[in-house]
Amino acid sequence: MQVAESEGMQVVENEGMQVAESVGMQVAESEAMQVVENEGMQVADSVGMQVEENEGMQVAENEGLEHTNVLKVKVGWSYQLDTYLSPLAYPGMQIGIGNEWWQGFRQDTRLGKQGKLVNWAHVGRVDVHGFRNINSARSNMTYAVEASGGWGAFYCWRWFDSSLKVWLGPYLEGSFTARELASNVNKPVSFDISADVMAMSGISWSFYGKKTSYRLNYQIRTNLIGFDFLPDYWESYYELSEGVGGMPRCSGHWNHHSIKHELTMDFQFVHSTWRLGVEHDYLNYGTENMHFIRNQVNLVVGCIWNYRIKANSRL
Amino acid sequence: MKRLKHIICFVACVAMLTGCHSREEMAYSMDPVENVEALWQIIDTKYCYVEEKGVDWDAIHGVYLTKAATMAKDDQLALFDLCAEMLNLLQDGHVNLYSAFDRSYCTSWYDSYPTNFDSRLQGLYLKDYRIAGGLYYCTINDSIGYIYYSSFSSSFSASNIYWIFTAFKDCKGLIIDVRNNGGGDLTNSYKLSSPFFTENRVVGYWQHKTGPGHHDFSKMEELRSDTSLIASRWRRPVVVLSNRHSYSATNTFINIMRYADNAKIVGGTSGGGGGMPLSYELPCGWMVRFSSVRMYDAEQKDIEQGIEPDVAVEMKSQDKDDIIEKAIEMIYNW
Repeated sequence: MQVAESEGMQVVENEGMQVAESVGMQVAESEAMQVVENEGMQVADSVGMQVEENEGMQVAENEGLEHTNVLKVKVGWSYQLDTYLSPLAYPGMQIGIGNEWWQGFRQDTRLGKQGKLVNWAHVGRVDVHGFRNINSARSNMTYAVEASGGWGAFYCWRWFDSSLKVWLGPYLEGSFTARELASNVNKPVSFDISADVMAMSGISWSFYGKKTSYRLNYQIRTNLIGFDFLPDYWESYYELSEGVGGMPRCSGHWNHHSIKHELTMDFQFVHSTWRLGVEHDYLNYGTENMHFIRNQVNLVVGCIWNYRIKANSRL
Repeated sequence: MKRLKHIICFVACVAMLTGCHSREEMAYSMDPVENVEALWQIIDTKYCYVEEKGVDWDAIHGVYLTKAATMAKDDQLALFDLCAEMLNLLQDGHVNLYSAFDRSYCTSWYDSYPTNFDSRLQGLYLKDYRIAGGLYYCTINDSIGYIYYSSFSSSFSASNIYWIFTAFKDCKGLIIDVRNNGGGDLTNSYKLSSPFFTENRVVGYWQHKTGPGHHDFSKMEELRSDTSLIASRWRRPVVVLSNRHSYSATNTFINIMRYADNAKIVGGTSGGGGGMPLSYELPCGWMVRFSSVRMYDAEQKDIEQGIEPDVAVEMKSQDKDDIIEKAIEMIYNW
């Protein structure tokens, strides 16, 4: 048993209720985990942590909504092929930061019906990336900044005493990318905007090691339908010939493929919970004979913590 | 566990699928045949004036591939010259090849035309001038405003225009001289023409290249003047001076001004360059620029070959600028 009790904190179980559980949460939601708060203090999240019963303690019945937050730093490789710009690939590097938070729709333990978990939860994400790609002749390069954000809701299924979970649900994502092309005589700067309804799915597996516990996560998102938009597309080095008059273009799998997936491991280290993993984003959009293709592979290092927003608290 | 295996298989499939790259990707190469072939293909599939230039592009393919096959593979200068020679057959100022050591250019589209501009003679009129943004201005005979704009790449503001018009408030008319202006930012074409319109009129059309075929274009889209770009208005006569070196964005400006209130074009035929240029790269990393958007006037006539002036004037005098003199005469007799 691993106890994440901080000094001075009291960690408790409340008669079989699982207080800090966020249903379907990717990170802090281990079914076995029983985390407690004492008078508004938060217990540092430990993946898969089990907290001993402490009979002399009490748990607050309504601690409010628990959120699990992951702040990530990403460093990786990117590959870009824009067949309207060049037949040459533009490999390069990128760095980024991202934040995601997970939360059960309902956190009130009294509504949990003595341990019955609410399986709907939701997730939000914000990511910012910077790219620098050089063509294979090393005669031209691009710089780009991409900001994206999204929100999704999902339903979670559990097996093996909740150590194995699978979730599935819709996800809404918007992104904005600004590009600069170092050697372009016409349109050195361009940008595009897209918004998509995506399908999101994931699987997580919690298990115990000798000293601590781990969670292995895999999640994937792919677009279903949305729109993309290139203002002044006639000036852009990428021309969306189907987008007439600079209007947003309806996009779906027939002209726009987006797959984002990541494999991560959560674990405890130096009294904190960390995430280490790999992300891969794939984007391919265009018309029948012009394509913009981008692959990104990132090494992800993240720090995980939980916090609670107290329900009905006065400002 | 069986489910888990299925999931792992699914993940592996997704990773493999997303790892596949497009077949359009080309590896870096300095091979002359490969680069000449790529250059020919780019022009054949992406350039918008292949048919209009009156060259047999298919025949050129064989001729230049044969030349490339006999070249040394490490002679970059010779390869550049060969590619430039092939491009110059199109006689298009918007078609250029860029490398780290050279940029190709074509002169045949203006070589056979009169120069119609002499900076020495222009200096007889452009005296004691002021400069507002990229616009040089002065008054001629205290009764005619004169603006010289040498490049549409030079920006100017609505405030610049306001002060220029204020300086010309007692003038009978205005001369805008865009001779030897090789173009620049198309936005400035619409901006400079804005004060001379009282409504947003159709001034032209354009068509985008949408596929590899020589006739693969989008439908024609209207282009309109934009009165909102500059708040000031000029309701008196305006004469625009042009010559063969009035090219690209300047050509577009001249076309727009044809539909302005109280405006006339005087001088020589403009240089053309109506097509909006884009860039592409060769396997060796050199960049080729070419037109990919066709532009037309309001009567849907292509403006790539240039625009005829309302009043054609050729400079012959050695002691005066005949085109400016004609513009002054027209304003006095408007």
